[in-house]
Amino acid sequence: MAQRAIWLVSHEPGTPHGGTVRFSRRYPTVEKRAKIFNGSSYVPLPEDDPFCKALLFELRLLDDDKDFVESRDSCSRINKASVYGLPIEGRELWPVLAFQKNSLIYVSIPLVEQTLSPPPPLISISGISQAFDLLFGLIDFFDSGPKTEVDLSTKVSQLPDLLMHICPFGTLLDSNFLLDNFNNLSINQTLKQPAWKAGTYKGKQQVAVSVTEKVKSMQYDKRDVADMWQVYGTITCKCDLEGVMPNIIVSLNLPTNGSPLQDILVHPCVTSLDSAVLTSSSVDIMDDSAFSGPYKFPFSPPLESFHLCYYTSQVPVPPILGFYQLKEEDSQLKINVHLKLHESVKNSFEYCEAHIPFFNRGPITHLEYKVSFGQVEVSREKSLLIWIIGQKFPKSLEINLSGTVNFNSMGHQKQPVDTICIGGTTYVKLYFRIPDYTLTGCYADQHSVQVFASGKPKISTCRELISSDYYIWNSKAPAPITYRSLLL
Amino acid sequence: MAERRRSGDSWARSLAALRTGPAAFLARAGADALASELLSDLRGERLSDYTKVSLLAAIQEFAPQLWSEPASAEDAACELLDTLALLPPRPSALHRPLLLAVTSVLAACGALGPSSAATGRLLALLLRAASRRAAGPEQRALQATACECLRELESCRPGLLAGRLGLLRGLQAALGTQPHRLLFALALRNALWALGRPGAAGLQGLLTGPPGETQAWDWTLEAPGAPQPGPWDWTLAGEALGPGAWPEPGPGPLELQPPEARELRAAVSQLLDASYLLTPPAQARLLRQLSQALRAVRGQPPALLKPQLVRLLGTARLSLLHAVLAWKDAFGEALFTAQDEALLLRRLVGAAQHPALPAPARLFYLHCLLHFPENWPLGPADEEGAPVLLTPGLAAGLLPSLLQEPPDLLGRLRLLCLLCGEEPGPEAQALDYLQGLLACLRRGAAQPGAPRSSATLCFRASYLATRCLAGHPAALARLIEGLADLYRVRPCLAPHFVDLLEQAGPVLAEPLGKALQQVAVAGSGGGPALRWHLQILTKVAGSQPLGPTLAFLRAAMGQRGAWGREQALLRVCRALLRGKGLGGAAPGALANLLQELARGLDDPDGRDRARLYYGLFTHLSAPKLGSAMGPALSTPMPGSSLVEENEGFTAALTVQEARAPLRLSRVPQQAKEPPVVLGLAVEASEVLYSLELRFRVLGPHYEPLEAVQVPCLRPGAFPKLLRLPLEPRRPYPAVLDISALYATPSGLTCHAQLPQLPVAFADLFLPLPQSSAEKSPSCAFQELWASCLPGGVESCMWGPWRGQALEALVARHWEPFVMAATPPASYKVAIRLPPSSRLLLQLEAAGEDGVRVALRTDDWAVLPLAGEYLRGLGAAT
Repeated sequence: MAQRAIWLVSHEPGTPHGGTVRFSRRYPTVEKRAKIFNGSSYVPLPEDDPFCKALLFELRLLDDDKDFVESRDSCSRINKASVYGLPIEGRELWPVLAFQKNSLIYVSIPLVEQTLSPPPPLISISGISQAFDLLFGLIDFFDSGPKTEVDLSTKVSQLPDLLMHICPFGTLLDSNFLLDNFNNLSINQTLKQPAWKAGTYKGKQQVAVSVTEKVKSMQYDKRDVADMWQVYGTITCKCDLEGVMPNIIVSLNLPTNGSPLQDILVHPCVTSLDSAVLTSSSVDIMDDSAFSGPYKFPFSPPLESFHLCYYTSQVPVPPILGFYQLKEEDSQLKINVHLKLHESVKNSFEYCEAHIPFFNRGPITHLEYKVSFGQVEVSREKSLLIWIIGQKFPKSLEINLSGTVNFNSMGHQKQPVDTICIGGTTYVKLYFRIPDYTLTGCYADQHSVQVFASGKPKISTCRELISSDYYIWNSKAPAPITYRSLLL
Repeated sequence: MAERRRSGDSWARSLAALRTGPAAFLARAGADALASELLSDLRGERLSDYTKVSLLAAIQEFAPQLWSEPASAEDAACELLDTLALLPPRPSALHRPLLLAVTSVLAACGALGPSSAATGRLLALLLRAASRRAAGPEQRALQATACECLRELESCRPGLLAGRLGLLRGLQAALGTQPHRLLFALALRNALWALGRPGAAGLQGLLTGPPGETQAWDWTLEAPGAPQPGPWDWTLAGEALGPGAWPEPGPGPLELQPPEARELRAAVSQLLDASYLLTPPAQARLLRQLSQALRAVRGQPPALLKPQLVRLLGTARLSLLHAVLAWKDAFGEALFTAQDEALLLRRLVGAAQHPALPAPARLFYLHCLLHFPENWPLGPADEEGAPVLLTPGLAAGLLPSLLQEPPDLLGRLRLLCLLCGEEPGPEAQALDYLQGLLACLRRGAAQPGAPRSSATLCFRASYLATRCLAGHPAALARLIEGLADLYRVRPCLAPHFVDLLEQAGPVLAEPLGKALQQVAVAGSGGGPALRWHLQILTKVAGSQPLGPTLAFLRAAMGQRGAWGREQALLRVCRALLRGKGLGGAAPGALANLLQELARGLDDPDGRDRARLYYGLFTHLSAPKLGSAMGPALSTPMPGSSLVEENEGFTAALTVQEARAPLRLSRVPQQAKEPPVVLGLAVEASEVLYSLELRFRVLGPHYEPLEAVQVPCLRPGAFPKLLRLPLEPRRPYPAVLDISALYATPSGLTCHAQLPQLPVAFADLFLPLPQSSAEKSPSCAFQELWASCLPGGVESCMWGPWRGQALEALVARHWEPFVMAATPPASYKVAIRLPPSSRLLLQLEAAGEDGVRVALRTDDWAVLPLAGEYLRGLGAAT
């Protein structure tokens, strides 16, 4: 269960090489084992430059995807779970786990403790999940804080020291790269001190619990296709508590008509789980007998802010229901968008916008519109209308936008081609945030946090609802439907 | 010398260059020079600690390149350990990187082993550091590093720490840190695996060995005069190299006595109970190793693991869920009841579709679902398949949709295909959905200017789908129709089509080839699409009716054009010649076309090729034509005729390695005086000319041998006899390495290696020169006998030859050497051993008991050889 090497590559489109290796680390003791385990199927690690080139090529990040290249484009080369095979000097280096995020590519090659031909299933490679842990940890590290070039360079320069603590021989000891100072732990570690807690906290005691719910939706306004929506939430905690292992129980509550939480996944610091929590799953058919809380999570917190749990839920109605009609008439488009906020939803937004993009048509040249509420902005070059609805829906809770749009089809060539929104297939996407509200009704308050520690910590809680992939498809054209939409 | 005194900046530049291209940098700078410079600068005081840490990091990372030989790595490790001993006793930034570097150098360069002094020093030092009671963060960090170094050494030499299990167990209980627990778990598993090998038995009290005494911390990790611990026990440590010795469970589970099994269970429980305190990646590793440890022992129920399951099943951590799946795979029903299995599957489905998790994690869970270790699997183990419990209803949220990223979409499409692939029935809806999705993907790829990734996605999806659509002819027909439409709209996707035809089986390739041929010969897309149509026809035309293709080619020929197009035309013709559509009336039309090409093409080479095709087509029968046009399976087709010609020419000029077509055998040969002659008979199994046999004596004790020439050898002829004179420098046995160089009747020169030939001690025996006539042989022998001492040696032994056996023995082996004898009881034998030694034997039969053999020689080095020779004779009787 070890990694042969780690790379951090930055993707720089437009530069001669398309990217550079920002950091690399090889583990020769692991490599020695790889040679023995893999036998004749062993492929040695390449040097940085050829590796970078092969990686960018495989990920299609070089600008030369004009021609069909069998080693990359062949229909039988189907990568699984972000695991790639890179052609290196006529042989294939596998399994290369690579994640791309914010122009950085995080790469690790786990040791496979068997022969590589035929390639074993990923599930049987013990090092693969460690590679996931390592790369997720690296992504958290590079995603935190500001992201200027200077910050990036500083973080890269910290990597050798961090890896000496976390992964000295390619075997991952911790995936938390964010512990800012390993050499200055605050107190002596005792026998029961968890390894995931580098020291103990000294100072003002407080516990913060926040509930963030996101709602996804696909609305079609079609008779034979069901609209879909889904809510999923994350509970984030930050516990500043004194003592080696202070114990806390956080209980999430639902109001009487709340929607039960399902598919609950918890942080590893949670010590035990009620079987009802473990078994409530979104694959079950909902009925009144479903467990509806309170959902108790006993745990001893780590020092840093962490996600106590994730859940999903099936709420009876989407917060905003709408339809979108778009028709092409005489080289112009007629659009009509109608939105209605459900009466049960709190009508108090931080922001609410509807984005109406137009694809494969060139820049907007002319727009005429009528709007019952809010304002409309036009981004001509991007072929995008933004309907700014603001903080509140009107009393009727229903709003409407209609108009006609003209395009310069000659400017079409300059824009990237969309392969989904072809012809009349297009959508309106909603962006909104409602503070101090959740669709499921799920909440935590002063009374739902029990702290078993000396002193009385200050407890703060908050919640919010945010839209995520909230689509309303043009009902006058085919739309990409999900399988579940067909079932109803 | 300027190079010898690098500054910190200069080192930073050099190390950056080393990282960018280690091979080129080391070729330029010299690995030895750089290695010694690194080691000496580490000892010096000019460089800052920061620079030294970077030097150590480079040593750790590039150790195998810097020290390619174990011996040099051993020296380097010793030098690093010396540097460590010289550090001030207070903690410094160099302690930990030094430990990591020494460990890496020893383990990665093959120096780790019982004979390495550095290994002994390092192990003692690490154990000392790991067993002290650490106070303060620096001591804890150093202790963690020491444990980690031990763990790595144990990983590289499994079983290395087996002898210290008791100590490690005591340490993890007393100190209770993550590094100690991980170290103990690994050592325990490896020890159980090693003990499971044949020949080992029981835990041998290893677990209850002397507990570690945790003493106060001593910063002088290696005091110069510190007493060295006793010798390390390497008995259970695997070999450094060789997959056979690598950690894997023994052939059968290990049998433990009840008290030992109790100890083991106690140790495992203790680790499991504390597993919650470890970081998630460490937990995952510990859980995996403990389950492997339990599996290695017979009759250990995995029930110990059960209390951890609820906690682990609840977590969102990929590595922990992966460890649970490994348990499932290892223990199956013994740990997971049917209900547990269903729960695990539902948790996995939930995780695979959980929108709050990152996409790569979801994809991994999906992969785990397709390889779910079922209690009672129906399909083969290593193949993808949907678990029986995963119904379309349960998987509804896992099915693909167009808005997903390509890897996500393809992963889910695979599942959808598996669900559709079953008997037609309730899955009809899933099949409809699959077809709709494929149609949308084709629509995306058909967009003019769509990126290649959209085409790649569409073809991968089609490839996956064909594997499950074989049982659904209507759906397959729709897929083929859709693909043909896609080709009509975007002929530039031809390379993708060719690839799909090659990768997908005949179920798709045959009907799709037909459909594509029809689109191609219709010539949609006009002139720009011609090259794509020709590419498609090259692939498919051979198995389709000839007429439409010929009509299309004739039309295409009219458009005179570039060399590339002419070549493409010829390629299609070649495909037609190889194809099976040559029956009926069409061949005449094909011949006409080839003739027209031979006249009409612009490129002279192209015209020649067309003429060649025409010639072959009109003169060869179909099967011969097929093999003439197709590449042979065994030899890759040469890129040009020049290469092909050259290959024959080169073969005639170079010596070919061959299996020896001749046999050498020994023929008894007795020389009367030097040189010793070895008699050989040579037989050939085929005709050989100008045979030259080359002999080389392995070892330094003989003069070089001349080669022997034989003009001609024929099979079946009387064996050729050869006399090979040997000139020993010392009278020792030897081995001859023999090779043959010869010419074959076809004119090739060949070289063959023959089996080695031993030269025995007895082969060197020569009779002593006749003594003067006036002395009796007996007297002469006595004189010789006396002259051997005091310079030589004397010995005597007993031979097991009774009665007539002695007489037969002498007649058989020593007849030419007997100087005096009173048969059948007494013989005096004198042997000359070239170049200048003597061996004298007096054999006296002692009744029925055997023979007393007294021997003397003037050359003490001959005595052991003579003894061995005589014992050999004794054994032979």
